[in-house]
Amino acid sequence: MFDIDWRGLLLPLAYLVVLVGTFMTFSTVYRKRKALESANLAPWFGPHLQRNIYLSLLHMEPEEGSEKSPRVPDSVIRAALLRRAVEDIHRIIQIRSAKQACSSLLQRGSVGDDLWQRFQRAEKEMEEELRDVVMEANALVPGWGQIIFQSANEIAANKALRDRLEEIEAQTEHDKEWWEKRRASIKTEFMKELDEESVKGQAKVGSDDEAVLVDTNTPSATPSGVSKKKKAKK
Amino acid sequence: MSTDYAYDEEGYLWPFFVFTLALIITLPLTYLLVNRSRDPAASFPRIQTNFKHAHADTVDSLRKQEKRKDRKLWLIFAVITGWTVMGYMLYLIQTTEAPTHKLWNPYDILGISESATEKQIKSTYKKLSLKFHPDKAKPDPAKNETIDDLNARYVEISKAYQALTDEDVRNNYIQYGNPDGKQGYSINIALPKVIVSDGNGKYVVLLYSVLFGVLLPYVVGSWWYGTLRRSKEGVLMESSNRLFREYKDSIDEGGVVTALSTGKEFEELFKGDKADSGLSKVESRILAEGELTSLAGGLSLKDKEKLEDLESGPQRKALALLWAYLGRIELDDPELNKAKFAVAPIAHSLTKAFNAIALAYMNTGPLLASYYASQNIIQAVPPRSSPLLQLPHFTPAVVKAVEGDSRVHTSLQGFMDRPDAKRRSLVVGNDLLTEEQYREAITVAKQLPFLRVAKAYFKVTGERFIIPSSLVTLVVKGRFVPPGSENVPEINPADLEDIDPAEDDLDALSGRKTRKLVGKDEKTGKPIYETSETELVAPPLANAPYFARDHSPRWHVFLTDSKQGRVAVPPFTFAQFDRPVLEADGRTPTFAMQTLKAQFQAPPQAGHYTFVMHVVCDSYVGFDTKMEVTLIVEEASKAAEMEVEDEISEPEEDSIAGIMHAAKGGQPKRRKPQVEEDDSDEESGTDDEDDDTSATNTDTEPEN
Repeated sequence: MFDIDWRGLLLPLAYLVVLVGTFMTFSTVYRKRKALESANLAPWFGPHLQRNIYLSLLHMEPEEGSEKSPRVPDSVIRAALLRRAVEDIHRIIQIRSAKQACSSLLQRGSVGDDLWQRFQRAEKEMEEELRDVVMEANALVPGWGQIIFQSANEIAANKALRDRLEEIEAQTEHDKEWWEKRRASIKTEFMKELDEESVKGQAKVGSDDEAVLVDTNTPSATPSGVSKKKKAKK
Repeated sequence: MSTDYAYDEEGYLWPFFVFTLALIITLPLTYLLVNRSRDPAASFPRIQTNFKHAHADTVDSLRKQEKRKDRKLWLIFAVITGWTVMGYMLYLIQTTEAPTHKLWNPYDILGISESATEKQIKSTYKKLSLKFHPDKAKPDPAKNETIDDLNARYVEISKAYQALTDEDVRNNYIQYGNPDGKQGYSINIALPKVIVSDGNGKYVVLLYSVLFGVLLPYVVGSWWYGTLRRSKEGVLMESSNRLFREYKDSIDEGGVVTALSTGKEFEELFKGDKADSGLSKVESRILAEGELTSLAGGLSLKDKEKLEDLESGPQRKALALLWAYLGRIELDDPELNKAKFAVAPIAHSLTKAFNAIALAYMNTGPLLASYYASQNIIQAVPPRSSPLLQLPHFTPAVVKAVEGDSRVHTSLQGFMDRPDAKRRSLVVGNDLLTEEQYREAITVAKQLPFLRVAKAYFKVTGERFIIPSSLVTLVVKGRFVPPGSENVPEINPADLEDIDPAEDDLDALSGRKTRKLVGKDEKTGKPIYETSETELVAPPLANAPYFARDHSPRWHVFLTDSKQGRVAVPPFTFAQFDRPVLEADGRTPTFAMQTLKAQFQAPPQAGHYTFVMHVVCDSYVGFDTKMEVTLIVEEASKAAEMEVEDEISEPEEDSIAGIMHAAKGGQPKRRKPQVEEDDSDEESGTDDEDDDTSATNTDTEPEN
């Protein structure tokens, strides 16, 4: 009835096997590699120091020898949580401002796909982090969750302002020194000019009263000028 | 294989086929090769200078190396192979004799002329048959003849005779070119028989599977992953990602330089033990006390901290070398000096990526910082340092002699504007410049293209007012006035105007032509324009003796909102201009008025908008212009009203309109309070017109 020529079919079957096999290996290898890549993506933010401090305060291990774990005062825990919130504010600001830029750059092909993946992961993590902080705050003091980020925001803004102020104030010493030097050099130059003028004036009109007046003034000024100049040189 | 087609058994057809194929492939490749090996920078004018610094040879060799890298070896190989194959095929075509398919001509066979009469034919046939009849003729052994040959020849002769006398045969001959009637024809495939002959089939299949199963996926794959690897700005994607992470809203030029050092390109440059070799030496040199700045490398204390915070490795070395390059610090080691000049072009290519990132954030500060960093890198001048360092032979000591203790840097223009004697007395002297060096510096300074903006204004093509959401053109008029140039001609006021091309002048509207000012009409005083083909002129290549690339300077024009510190209109880039920059001798400036145009959408609300316009050159330090421009957006109804008014002739003096007109006093831009009653239909009218103009305007968008 059906006389199947198995040997003749061998070749097409082998072809199919090779084809399907290739595709399957390719797709599994490719997917595995992709998964590995996305698992190994570096986190957007570094380690969250404030959160680590808060959590270690909360779960203090009992010291060796003693049964009970040391009691951490509530105020310290609250302060640690607030610090954690402040750091979160920094991070959330960074994410908010970067989001639009990142997506538009991705569309234009200026940044890579993995950056976007990292970004989205960071965004998701931040959302959870915020929720966690609010929950913790409510657990510590009922109702605090609503306002903790407001205070954190103010702290962050204040910190930024103070940093800027300090930066400017650190400059003052340097500026003062520079100005002293500058003033001295201007003074000496000015005096030199005056000297030259008076010498000229004397040569021309020796008996002029005003020229004499200037002349009497100069000696008192010149030594200081010279000394300042010396200072300026070193 | 089908037997209908014959393969090229004689081997005279396939050379044609191969020749054509090789020609199709080789010609474009040859064009590519010739085009590429021609130095594109050679066509640009250059700033004429004899200045050579101590490491000019190193920089030159780096430049040449880059050009050599451009030349692809495989391309040369492919082209040579292509031409060899074509030559060989030509030789084959020449030497292989094509099988002769001679036209069968009875006259030739009988050896008579075509005008012969029937009588002549008959007599000739008789003569020939007497001579060549197989019974009569004997085979000639000298000619290597046989009986068969003789027979064949006789048959031919009688055939020819019949063709000329017999009616049917003659018809056959006329119709088909053969007395026997229609002949079969054959189609040959121009492939050598070898390909299809038995036993070779498997090799052909193998070749096919290699071509389509291996080579094609490989080529497509490498192309695709190649595009994924590099960002749109041409830097590695990974570098771009890292730069994005380094971006901060408060970043300054020093910060940008630090950020640039994260580039992955540097990791490839400093592989293995190269990453650390000589690092401590470089660092000690750049952190030594400098003449102008507190540190010799020109880095601020903040930048120093950042450098010291880095782990030692490629990034730290790249950053240290970059600072050494910016501070022009001698490293006393040919290897390190070379590396110093090699990092700069890479850093410059990374500034482009950083620029794109700063632009995506739309903050003015980082955007400007990225442009300034580019200027600094091209000129090898540390951030916030004196622009005078751009001049040849100007060392920190010379700059110090000019600036003294002043904190405000003397700009190049300011320095050159001083009288020659004063300049000379400042910089020529012991330990400073010699007379010759001074002259060299001044000649270079007098060639630097400083774009001095004369006027900047907004307009809408074909309209008198700017209405909300229309397509506004920012017109910047400026001249290239090198610092210290004398006898600069006065600005011709007519040059400052920007006349719309006539509406029927499609070439001008689409930007194919520019209009040249020819003269002024004697009577009306209106300027006369002549349209001419646009021929964009490039300014000379940037004078950058330390930068190991040829760089064509670009100007970026953008608008910012000074209150919010944000970019309002993203940069438009100009690398070529509509009027010549230099005279034919290549050093005298023409002072021709250049027109830069940028188009953008007007804000949707009427009002006065004040922007800060920045014109930033990416190649020279201190050649930037910053000025305030005000965009006045009128209500759409107002523009419609004006149009109606235009149509009405002068209003009578005693009418209200006349009084209004007098009150206006020829100030069409001043807004006037007026009751608007019937503007709804007119407004729709203007909207249509607005659409029209914007449609044409998109065509006239300038190349940038």
